[in-house]
Amino acid sequence: MSATTAAPPLAGPTGSGPSAPPPAPRRRRRRRWVSSSLAAAFCAVWVFPVYWMVNTAFKPRPEVLTTTPRFVPSDPTLANFVGAVTASDFLVNLRNSVIVVSGTVVVAVVLGIFAAAALSRFRFPGRRTIMVVVLAVQMLPSTALLIPMFVMFNSVDLLGTYAALVLAYVATVLPFSIWVMRGFFLAVPVEVEEAARIDGASTWRVLVSVLFPLVAPGVIATSIFAFIAAWNDYLFAYTFMREQSRYTLPVWLASFSNPNSGTDFGGQMAASVLFSLPVVVFFLFIQRNLVAGMSAGAVKG
Amino acid sequence: MAPVGTTAPRRASATAGAGSGGATAPTAVPPSRAARARRRDRAPLLLLLPAGLVLTGVTVVPIGFLVFTSFTDYDQRTLFTGAYSVVGLQQYVTLLGDEEFWASLVRTVLFTAAMVAGSVVIGMGVSHLMTRVGRAWRYAMTVVLILAWAMPNVASSLVWNWLFQPGYGVVNWLLAQLGVFGDTTDLNWAEDPALAYTAIWLLIVWQAVPFIALTLNAAETQVPAEHQEAARLDGAGELLVYRAVTLVFLRPTLLLITILSVIWDYNVFNQIWLVSRGGPGDSTSTLGVFTYVTAFVGFDIGLGAAISVVTTLLLLAMTAVYIRSLLRAGEDL
Repeated sequence: MSATTAAPPLAGPTGSGPSAPPPAPRRRRRRRWVSSSLAAAFCAVWVFPVYWMVNTAFKPRPEVLTTTPRFVPSDPTLANFVGAVTASDFLVNLRNSVIVVSGTVVVAVVLGIFAAAALSRFRFPGRRTIMVVVLAVQMLPSTALLIPMFVMFNSVDLLGTYAALVLAYVATVLPFSIWVMRGFFLAVPVEVEEAARIDGASTWRVLVSVLFPLVAPGVIATSIFAFIAAWNDYLFAYTFMREQSRYTLPVWLASFSNPNSGTDFGGQMAASVLFSLPVVVFFLFIQRNLVAGMSAGAVKG
Repeated sequence: MAPVGTTAPRRASATAGAGSGGATAPTAVPPSRAARARRRDRAPLLLLLPAGLVLTGVTVVPIGFLVFTSFTDYDQRTLFTGAYSVVGLQQYVTLLGDEEFWASLVRTVLFTAAMVAGSVVIGMGVSHLMTRVGRAWRYAMTVVLILAWAMPNVASSLVWNWLFQPGYGVVNWLLAQLGVFGDTTDLNWAEDPALAYTAIWLLIVWQAVPFIALTLNAAETQVPAEHQEAARLDGAGELLVYRAVTLVFLRPTLLLITILSVIWDYNVFNQIWLVSRGGPGDSTSTLGVFTYVTAFVGFDIGLGAAISVVTTLLLLAMTAVYIRSLLRAGEDL
């Protein structure tokens, strides 16, 4: 650390020290300009795939497959969206997704809030070990759960059911729900709890009437995390739900890339927009928590 | 005989004594307080119990079963009849002698390294750029980053297939306009291993940079400006200020991000599966794809379980490093 506080001594022609005038305004302005154009270039490149998805989604069929790509649809249409929504089991698969995702959110949030309360407001032996296990579990490769769950669910005839998917998602979502909720509990000052205790509230009373209301924003954030994780999962749904009527939306979406429907890119992109929209909206809500939570290792990639 | 006979009762009486002593000791303390302390001790247990039971059921039990399965010849027939036999280490012997396994492992390691290096370096650049631009540009960059980050990877994989489509894909058209690579209009990215890797690499990096850039940027804004100012006054150029001052402050964050990226990129499956299916041939088949194909296309579930166990062990080693550095970074577990 001491190395940083002492700035490196510089010799040579540039090392004229404090006597050197600060960078001329013109140079600074030029530097600003360079930074701004780099930022513009970055934004253009990074937003391009999203822009291209949206752009294609609004193109009528003949405008999609053109040898010179059109950067703005000259005759924008909603036909691709209508086609995606009305065709091929969209509503059935949407319902499947909604059922499985809500089941996961409810289980993960309810169990997560209790566990997080225990892990943040109490000191007891083994607490550290539990946190380490919770962290380690969420780093497991998905096949490590996929294979045994497939075999186990097969032997009890759970494959193809909502319960199978909810159980699989709880396994991946609950650990990080605990981790995220715990952060919200830790942010509540101990004094609040002590004040309630002094007023004679029991441990349960403190939890239910004092702590839980204070971590309500955490419940919302955790629900959104759980929603996104379950909504986005492709691998478990693809493996467990073999019948089209049982697909969830990611499997429905991926089935668009079949060779037989391979050239309807307008439809594919419209479906991608529809599928991504709720996630993007939620993401904007929780972006701040996400940066803080993920840097603590909260979310599985 | 005698010593045993004498010690046994003595031990019993000793415990009885301790028991009665234990019973009498709390009377010295107000009993209500002791009782309350004990009750409070039970609270975390009760709170943890539901989550603990469920997590045991959905993670510990399956992991145990995975290990067990890797010692059996579980396959497609077993799924229907339930019949299998325990074959000991046979699957592991097969696996270690399988060239395809070693090839997948090498691919996974190299590809992970390439993805991590790419996304961390670009992420560092973007984070630094965000500290050097005006508020409007910083806001624009944040929005763009969040858009890329938020895209579900199934959707982004489909978008990638369309961007890189031979014949009508916009990437081929743009490359053709550049003219550096000749007429690239019909370039088939899925047919050539190097091109398939490039497309997947771009996809992963595109989605990995936002987290890295935003996290690093959050850390970079915490770097005390006095230090950078002092270095600048001493005549240090921007590059040197970044290297000698900013990077030193960023190091802990950078370490965490790198380890997390290694873990995530090592586990990448969806994007590879949806963009290349591990092809052409099996040139982009990483451990994840190899496991999936073995277990769910060939239904050689015993062998698939063995691959998964080996994959998990390798990953656990990395996770241990991650948790250790979390602890060292002062995260209060």
